[in-house]
Amino acid sequence: MSSPWERLKKRWRKISETGTLRILWITPLSLAGFLFVWWIFSIIINRAYLPGPYEVFRAFIDSFLTPAPSLGITMGDNIASSLQRFLLGFVLAFCVSVPLGLMMGFFRTAETVAKPVIEVFRPIPPIAWVPVFLLIFKLFWGPVMVIFIGVFFPLLSNVIFGVKSVDPTLIDAARTLGADRLRLFTKVIFPSTVPFLMTGITIGLGIGWMCIVAAEMIGAVGGGVGYYIYFMEQLGKYEYMYAGMVVIAILGILTVGISRYVEQYLSRLMGMK
Amino acid sequence: MTLTIDKLEKRFPKDDEELVAITDFTLEVRDHEFVCVLGPSGCGKTTLLRIVAGLETKTSGSVKIDGVEISGPGSDRGMVFQEFALFPWRTVRKNIEFGLEIKKVPKEKRKAISDKYIELVGLKGFEDSHPYELSGGMKQRVGIARALANDPKILLMDEPFGALDAQTRNMMQKELLRIWAETKKTVLFVTHSVDEAVYLADRIVVMTARPGTIKEIFDITMPRPRDRASVEFASLRKHILAELEREVVRPTPST
Repeated sequence: MSSPWERLKKRWRKISETGTLRILWITPLSLAGFLFVWWIFSIIINRAYLPGPYEVFRAFIDSFLTPAPSLGITMGDNIASSLQRFLLGFVLAFCVSVPLGLMMGFFRTAETVAKPVIEVFRPIPPIAWVPVFLLIFKLFWGPVMVIFIGVFFPLLSNVIFGVKSVDPTLIDAARTLGADRLRLFTKVIFPSTVPFLMTGITIGLGIGWMCIVAAEMIGAVGGGVGYYIYFMEQLGKYEYMYAGMVVIAILGILTVGISRYVEQYLSRLMGMK
Repeated sequence: MTLTIDKLEKRFPKDDEELVAITDFTLEVRDHEFVCVLGPSGCGKTTLLRIVAGLETKTSGSVKIDGVEISGPGSDRGMVFQEFALFPWRTVRKNIEFGLEIKKVPKEKRKAISDKYIELVGLKGFEDSHPYELSGGMKQRVGIARALANDPKILLMDEPFGALDAQTRNMMQKELLRIWAETKKTVLFVTHSVDEAVYLADRIVVMTARPGTIKEIFDITMPRPRDRASVEFASLRKHILAELEREVVRPTPST
């Protein structure tokens, strides 16, 4: 029988063989290197707009503990506002692009009708919509709509691609088992597109976070991390501005990381890996 | 159950001309019979099977089951695919229950039926596995159980063991004969392996190269289980192989 010590050794060997170990010690090392370079630059340049890592870290902690001057809310409140906006925009984009994508992938007429319009709007960067949406949808729904636009297109393209990538033998199999068109759609085509949908969600999340700062900068009800960054720059509290940027980075890494994990799990389940 | 194929013809449009895939194909498959269709690649044997399954339309002629003309796919014909064609997001059990779900069979009854076929194909203990966790042979066991769960009148098999290694293939052939004997289904089985056809079939239909039509029909009267090493098996295989090779080397008429 193997002792706990031997089992531990075996486990350790497995970890080191798969390369997980290398990632585990190189990742902190590369991050530490980045912080070091940042620190050196902040000393050489020695300007208020480039505080060192320590000042930013202190501001980061402080931003959660004490309400920001003249904003009157803490970073926690700002994150809550941004997340709410983000979620709303994301869910909205999801609800529109998934059914539309399924239809465009399945019915050729739907694609022919919708494609020209979509191709006109696709190249316009989400940020270009900020002024328009603020005018039309005002301070609450305006930023939400910017996120909507950012998430909408990558989701749509992936769903369409997913429908077109359905394995034709699965369709044949379902038909010989008695499936009609409706059942083909609900029991074969839709489940087949789920991994593609997840890829779209991962890409959409990344783009969504890029949009949020731009969306909130001009103005947003109840603050938001993007608004916070802009406001701190105006006040000249640069270390707080950077702290806001760090918050966006963390939120982005967390949501995209979770989404990528789900995506990989699903692809494995679907036999795509 | 009787499958009657009468003067079947299938043409495909190809570039500017028409390609004749199958012509003048007439065959009757009787109840409980195991018929293998054997032919060189591209002879239209898969097309033939897909027409019987209703996945493809015919150009002319008739295909009838118990005197009723086929129009489109139906659950009275079960199909087993070379690529297994399992739904990767469904477990073994849910794959087998697919046709029953479509027929709106109640849950308890579905479970009873899938239990029966899981047992029959020897997949007990793997009910909750997903296809990616199974070997090729096990995947095809699911494919067979899924087709049988619908209780079809005839089982259509399109080179079902073509993607398996030689050893698994031999074992699956043995298993298929056992399942066939237990379920008493009619089987129409397409293959390009002479060995497989001689091992399995009651009758072997040898097809010509394109345009595919019947070249010769062999009745295999050897008792089962058949011994691949026996003189009778070997001579029959040699004879059919010679017939088939003549088709492979036959030059196609110049255009």
